[in-house]
Amino acid sequence: MNQDIVLEAIDIGKVFGDVLALQGVGLKLQANSVHALLGENGAGKSTLVKCLMGYYRPDSGQIILRQKEQVIDSPQQAARLGLGMVYQHFTLIPNMTIAENIVLSRPSLPAVIDWSKEIRALQSRMADMPFQFDLQRKVRDLSAGEKQKVEITKQLLLDAEILILDEPTSVLTPTEADEVLEKIHQLTRSGSLTVLMITHKFREVMRYADQVTVLRKGRFVGAADVTQVNPQMLSDMMVGGESISKPPAREAHASFQARLKISGLQVNNDQGLPAVKGLELEVNEGEIVGIAGVSGNGQKQLVEALSGQREVTSGNIFAHGEIFVSNQRSIDKHKFYCLPEEPLKNACVGNLSVAENLVLRRFNHPAFVYWRWLLNRSAIRRNAEKLIAQYKVRTSGPDQAVSALSGGNIQRVVLARELAQEVSVLVISNPCFGLDFKAVADIRGQLLAARNRGTAILLLSEDLDEILELSDRFHVISGGELVYQTTPAQADLNTIGQYMAGH
Amino acid sequence: MSGQDIGLWSVLIAVLGGAIRVGTPFIFVSLGECLTEKSGRINLGLEGNLVMGAMVGYATSYLSGSPWLGVLAAAGSGCCLGLLHALLCQHKRVNDIAVGIAMMLFASGLAFFYGKPFIQPSAPRLPSIGFGNWSDSPVVRAALDINALFFIGVILAPVMAWFLMRTRWGNSVRVVGESSDAALAMGISIHRVRLLSTVAGGAFAGIGGAYLSLYYPGSWSEGLSSGQGLMAVALVIFARWNPIYCLYASLLFGAAAALGPALQSVGIHSGYYLFNAAPYILTLAIMIISSDRKGTLGGMPGELSK
Amino acid sequence: MLNLRETWLISLGALTVAFMLVGIFFASTGNSPFEVFYTLYRGAFGSWFSWQNTLVRAAPLMLTALCTVLPARVGLIVIGGEGAVVVGGLCSTLVGLALRDMGPFTVITAMVLTGALTGGLWIAAVGALQYFRNVNETISSLLLNYIAIAILNFLVIGILKDPATLNNPSTHAIGEANMIGNIGASTIHWGLVYGVVACVGLWVICRHSVFGFAADVVGGNIRAARLAGLPVVKILLWCCFLGGAAAGLAGTLEVAAVHGRANNGLNAGYGYAGILVAFLARHNPLAVIPYAILLGGIQASGGLMQRAHNLPDATVYVIQGIIFMVILTSELFYGKFRWLHATREAKS
Repeated sequence: MNQDIVLEAIDIGKVFGDVLALQGVGLKLQANSVHALLGENGAGKSTLVKCLMGYYRPDSGQIILRQKEQVIDSPQQAARLGLGMVYQHFTLIPNMTIAENIVLSRPSLPAVIDWSKEIRALQSRMADMPFQFDLQRKVRDLSAGEKQKVEITKQLLLDAEILILDEPTSVLTPTEADEVLEKIHQLTRSGSLTVLMITHKFREVMRYADQVTVLRKGRFVGAADVTQVNPQMLSDMMVGGESISKPPAREAHASFQARLKISGLQVNNDQGLPAVKGLELEVNEGEIVGIAGVSGNGQKQLVEALSGQREVTSGNIFAHGEIFVSNQRSIDKHKFYCLPEEPLKNACVGNLSVAENLVLRRFNHPAFVYWRWLLNRSAIRRNAEKLIAQYKVRTSGPDQAVSALSGGNIQRVVLARELAQEVSVLVISNPCFGLDFKAVADIRGQLLAARNRGTAILLLSEDLDEILELSDRFHVISGGELVYQTTPAQADLNTIGQYMAGH
Repeated sequence: MSGQDIGLWSVLIAVLGGAIRVGTPFIFVSLGECLTEKSGRINLGLEGNLVMGAMVGYATSYLSGSPWLGVLAAAGSGCCLGLLHALLCQHKRVNDIAVGIAMMLFASGLAFFYGKPFIQPSAPRLPSIGFGNWSDSPVVRAALDINALFFIGVILAPVMAWFLMRTRWGNSVRVVGESSDAALAMGISIHRVRLLSTVAGGAFAGIGGAYLSLYYPGSWSEGLSSGQGLMAVALVIFARWNPIYCLYASLLFGAAAALGPALQSVGIHSGYYLFNAAPYILTLAIMIISSDRKGTLGGMPGELSK
Repeated sequence: MLNLRETWLISLGALTVAFMLVGIFFASTGNSPFEVFYTLYRGAFGSWFSWQNTLVRAAPLMLTALCTVLPARVGLIVIGGEGAVVVGGLCSTLVGLALRDMGPFTVITAMVLTGALTGGLWIAAVGALQYFRNVNETISSLLLNYIAIAILNFLVIGILKDPATLNNPSTHAIGEANMIGNIGASTIHWGLVYGVVACVGLWVICRHSVFGFAADVVGGNIRAARLAGLPVVKILLWCCFLGGAAAGLAGTLEVAAVHGRANNGLNAGYGYAGILVAFLARHNPLAVIPYAILLGGIQASGGLMQRAHNLPDATVYVIQGIIFMVILTSELFYGKFRWLHATREAKS
């Protein structure tokens, strides 16, 4: 079928400082199709899309919209040209209602706003929309899935003809993801929309996309009709056949000693409402227990409670059978360590050096002090040099500020710190988010090795694939409670999806 | 009526009059800070705007003979100081709070420096309307002598509320203050909105200062302001960033500050200095009550808590 | 990680720009900037007499600066030095008066400890309000300043007043014999040594001790500090306490080394200049010493500038204000000059 190409990017290049983000990248978007943009983290997908949306100006190349060359200066101009984007981090205003958010996002508003008139007009247009909601609800009360639908609706109401979606289903349950993608697909078929979708999920590409373009390390690798590819080909294109070290095999364990036990745990969120409700959980020696779930169901608060960053409202955490309180002495005694998500925000001090961060838990131990109070900075440095080499952290030296490192290396620093000693219990959350394949493989290898050494690992992740790959057994968390338990071998995606969605 | 009754009534009326008299500058400064904070920026330098506005207003009134020109000049000086604050704070690495403190010291110092020649002379003052002229009692008369700026302030509060909710510009301010991500996506220039809000806020604070020197206490001296600019920041938090509540809270503060002089006027002299502390203690108490351990205050613009 | 080269370069650059702006300000008053700067130099460092003047003023500035420096290291911006000075001075006067007849050593020791303790508790309260009730520490510390001054005035004019001090209401005197004397034959009291020792001591603690490291972690990222199991509340409150203790000590020195009694002179504005010193020193206790001397010098030359060039006392405030704003703006430049840093790793 030879359909019109509504948007074409030719030979796009973009440099940031001395980092080459894009080079010679091309994209052909056919009208009324769903086009998937595939690539691992850091491949340049976001950068390309931001060039299309006018956030960046490409350093070289052309953008051709409806057979006419265009220079897109700003997101407002992109919007005028019929381009709309739904971001991974929502751009909705939490304290305002859905109606306010939609009305205020219009490019041309009258100087004085008659809210009742605007809302009436909005309501009549909502009749034609694929998703329905109560316009007077405040955005902060919406679930992630609802917010996603609002964002998409907002773009449709702004008369977007080309809709760009950035990882649209990363915060949705499998069922919700299908619902949204199905609706999107219908809209393209009815001739009113063209969709460009950034994703890393092969399943979605195969099921919902018509064409796919693959990027790797800022370069164009290939494009094809989805009917002519399969997941293995896509994977090869994305990763380039780089040999990734195979993770160590799982070893069986004889003992079933409960290292970590959580009993009746209730943790409140910032608004004072319970985010974790009466949670019961056990993790034994030498196993990885996963908790799968969609973001916003209490995982963050659970990890914060376990790592001492949030108060426990009621219930208990036991380590080796004793009540566990998150202070330095207890942590050292039970060898209870944590790797929270977003390590720079949660586990590191950005303006301190790599060496200082590596010794964050042990700076007052005899190895690093004189006379119990004076720091032994040369010992701290030597320790850092050793760990940097051992964990292959790419840094200009132990004295470099940790905030200057890339995401993957920050994660390696935290990993080095937490795993460099004997670890009895490890709580880890979304360890591989935003990292490239190699870093991801490294980290997964480390985790399995630790497991084989006997560490009890609690792994929380919003990426179901990660849970399936790493856990010995796993739970599903929904609404702050553990609602389902199974193993990767027996996992049925549909059932899991339903539990995730709260059915 | 017995002497004691008259005493009690006198105190009450004096407090009411004081609420208006002392509260008027608070109205302007708190509305100015409210606007600035709605755009997501906190301006602690308003104390400096207040002092500078007082000096400039007084000097202009003296030199030109018109107190209203003085008010205008004070607003202008407030704009300039607001502009300086905005330009410094628009860079991420610069600490808003530290800049506010610096502006406070700088503007006060500058005002004291250029204000030396104006300490002695007396300048034309702002007019007032005597609502209490029917009474024989000097206390009642003094209390119900309401100045012109008060009426402007009373109108300003609902106008600002309307502006924020119902105009395009006002909603831009709200969006920038709630979520800079959303503002960026909507193509609103965050820098420009915050700059204009800070400048406007500074102008209002300058007017508040002009009131101090041109009406009550009614002369220029270096001890004129004593923290009103900072109390206004607490006021805005107490008023939950709602312009109408800012108006009410300003009157409340005025009443608290008027308590000392009111008691003095009926002959209660002891503890004068402690009553002087009343507004500060009230402010501190209000901040303790209004703030919450988790830091989530209803009505707080999203960008302020970051 | 502290990059000393960068700090030196940018600080000196900022001071140069500040002084250029100050020069323009001088010129705008109709004076020759070079002449005024020379007067400034003479009044601050031109003779032994001016040096003494400068150092006497620098001593309390060192201490009140610490009141901002210590909390700043744990992420709190506290400007309550003024209030802590007043509280410390007042309380130590009361103690000094009570123990007046017990010999100078006892009196001075008791006064020093009282001043430090009460000043420390005053600022620790600010820290507690921030931690437990999320009250903005800048505003609360400023309000407490005004409250402290009001209490001072109330007591000094009321029940504590020495009837013989009609013109300048003060408490009774602690007695000549009980006062802290001067160093050798100079007019500099031993308070200067207290200031220097406090700065050096706190620098050692902040940069080289386990507590200082923990404070850096709390100030750098409180979530990471909790993750590491550090006692966050204790560290926050102790840092506030230490800062307040330094300022309270300054109050004691005002009484025990300068006035001999507590009066409105305690409310001398050291607190505010101390804030500037703290920011100039970028919250490094050791750097406080030279900057306190610089600011002390500027203040010392105020009188001379007035006599020689007819510049009012507010000139000193304007100079301080200009320096403060330039210093804050200079924060922009940290991290911008790539050549000052070791080569960074390209993002992997």
